[in-house]
Amino acid sequence: MVLVLALGDLHIPHRAADLPAKFKSMLVPGKIQHILSPGNLCIKEVHDYLKSLCSDVQITRGEYDEDTRYPETKQLVIGAFKLGICHGHQVVPWGDLDSLAMLQRQLDVDILITGHTHQFKAYKHEGGVIINPGSATGAYSSITYDVNPSFVLMDIDGLRVVVYVYELVDGEVKVDKIDFKKPQ
Amino acid sequence: MMSTGNGSSMNPKPVPAWLNSAAWTSKPRSPVRSTYSFGERSGSGSGTVLEAIDKPFRDYDDPLSSVAKVPQETVVTQEESEVTGPAALPSQDAGSPEHSSDTDENRGVNSPSSFDYRVSLFNTELSRRRIHLAELQRLSSQGIPDVGGIRATTWKVLLGFLPKNRDEWATELKKKRATYAVFRKEMIINPSEVTRRKEEMEAMKAAELEALEGPLQRHEISPDDHPLSLRSESVWHQFFQDTELAEQINRDVKRTHPDMQFFCGDNDFARENQEALKRILFIFAKLNPGIRYVQGMNEVLAPLYYVFKTDVDEANVEHAEEDSFFCFVELLSDFRDHFCQQLDNSAVGIRSTISQMTQLLRRHDEELWRHLEIISKVNPQFYAFRWITLLLTQEFNFADSLRLWDSLLSNPDGPLEILLRVCCSMLLCLRSRLLAGDFTTNLKLLQHYPFVDLNHLLKVADDLKN
Repeated sequence: MVLVLALGDLHIPHRAADLPAKFKSMLVPGKIQHILSPGNLCIKEVHDYLKSLCSDVQITRGEYDEDTRYPETKQLVIGAFKLGICHGHQVVPWGDLDSLAMLQRQLDVDILITGHTHQFKAYKHEGGVIINPGSATGAYSSITYDVNPSFVLMDIDGLRVVVYVYELVDGEVKVDKIDFKKPQ
Repeated sequence: MMSTGNGSSMNPKPVPAWLNSAAWTSKPRSPVRSTYSFGERSGSGSGTVLEAIDKPFRDYDDPLSSVAKVPQETVVTQEESEVTGPAALPSQDAGSPEHSSDTDENRGVNSPSSFDYRVSLFNTELSRRRIHLAELQRLSSQGIPDVGGIRATTWKVLLGFLPKNRDEWATELKKKRATYAVFRKEMIINPSEVTRRKEEMEAMKAAELEALEGPLQRHEISPDDHPLSLRSESVWHQFFQDTELAEQINRDVKRTHPDMQFFCGDNDFARENQEALKRILFIFAKLNPGIRYVQGMNEVLAPLYYVFKTDVDEANVEHAEEDSFFCFVELLSDFRDHFCQQLDNSAVGIRSTISQMTQLLRRHDEELWRHLEIISKVNPQFYAFRWITLLLTQEFNFADSLRLWDSLLSNPDGPLEILLRVCCSMLLCLRSRLLAGDFTTNLKLLQHYPFVDLNHLLKVADDLKN
């Protein structure tokens, strides 16, 4: 039972001041084992905050990140699943499923976590799962201003993943669940 | 010695008889001891050990029993580590039962205090259809032979786990072991399992799980069901709170008796034992939200679990965890107030118990009491706290503490009463050294209690009962 948090596109301090208070109250240290972030945090203080929640933080480079040392993509294995992270601004057209599927095949992962569009998406496509946790602060994107803050928590248990989607709608936290199983 | 000389000249009262007993000087009593391979100071335990030493090494009436006896009762001195002594016990347990019980009839009864005679007494008592508790208590207070699982069964009867009627044993055991299995299933939860079971009840769309393409469907869930839920009804929230508790228990169990292979060995048996201890303490903490887990409970549990796990009967060994859980609950029912911090200053708390002990000391030996409390200003809490809450498991080596617990558990007036007397007698046995010492030396002495012959200690405790 491994809990993996995926959140990105915070754009602190440029487009947003901080995570919403309701999200912050839920994110306490000691519960989560891994944090995956597609990128665009953008400053070191946010990295330190994430490190205070969990010691294993994996970040990839977004186009506004001030730390240039983050890699473009990352792959890791958690339980029976291979996960990949990439910010997504490199994949054109942005948010296009087929192009992202190409990236997924390249990285050879079961679950690909991307960002950049600031919209939550979860798709099963061509044998793999693509999850976009959206923007955790609700920062505006280059495409749209209408962004709900959202992030994703995955519970990896054997061959099953339960994805909990946390979205701030009208000031209230709405939690949804998505289930999928790794095909044998 | 100088100090006793001064004491007796200043003290107008007659010196108590036990004060002059030769048993508590450190010089060997007989020349045989100095050639003894296990060191000058020999172990405590039943009185038969001293007899064996005074006789020639091999007792020709009873060759096997002396060989079986002596290594068992061997105790390394307090300052050295206890590795060889207690660790040797399990193998001795395995080796000796066949000898003693087989040859019991052949040997016949030697003298009233011989080892085999005592074993036979216990066996008779325990095999009665209706056990006579007072008789068993009387026998146990003189020490239970470390053979054939007698101690395990006796402790279970003394603690009330096994009923007095032998016929009811089978049903009681089955009932209690089943109860524990239920506890175990309920208390040790995995929230992922729980959510999965909930889904299956809602007839999860299997087709969806198998779908190959397309957007993944989002399902609404109740606010309790997600891992970050802060609500107290949430199964996840409870799980994370339990994790903290489990961490605390884990830390303490890993440090229990680090010198014993049984608990801290680098093998599967030791790891399994540690897991069992953790489960017992965890379930106890969940069932008693009032006191939950307090550091020290692991030390009280350890001897119980050890004795039951080293039983001879196979079925008992397999269910040692369940049996020790219930016995632990029984034992702690007398002492739970000592573990509750809020009750520290109340009439039932640890402070009041400590003051009961010091009052007892004052009644019997005013001079020593005065010297400790007033002249050297040793606050009894500094040493008595550990003595009382941990039931003296940390003051003596493991084998001695098992012997001590025989007396504690078999006291007809309850274990607390005799515990206070034993603590008092521990102070009295060090009388001369305490009177000669100041704050630092006395505190050091009491916090690292030196080796004292256990039989003498218990005899002094008995004499205080008037």
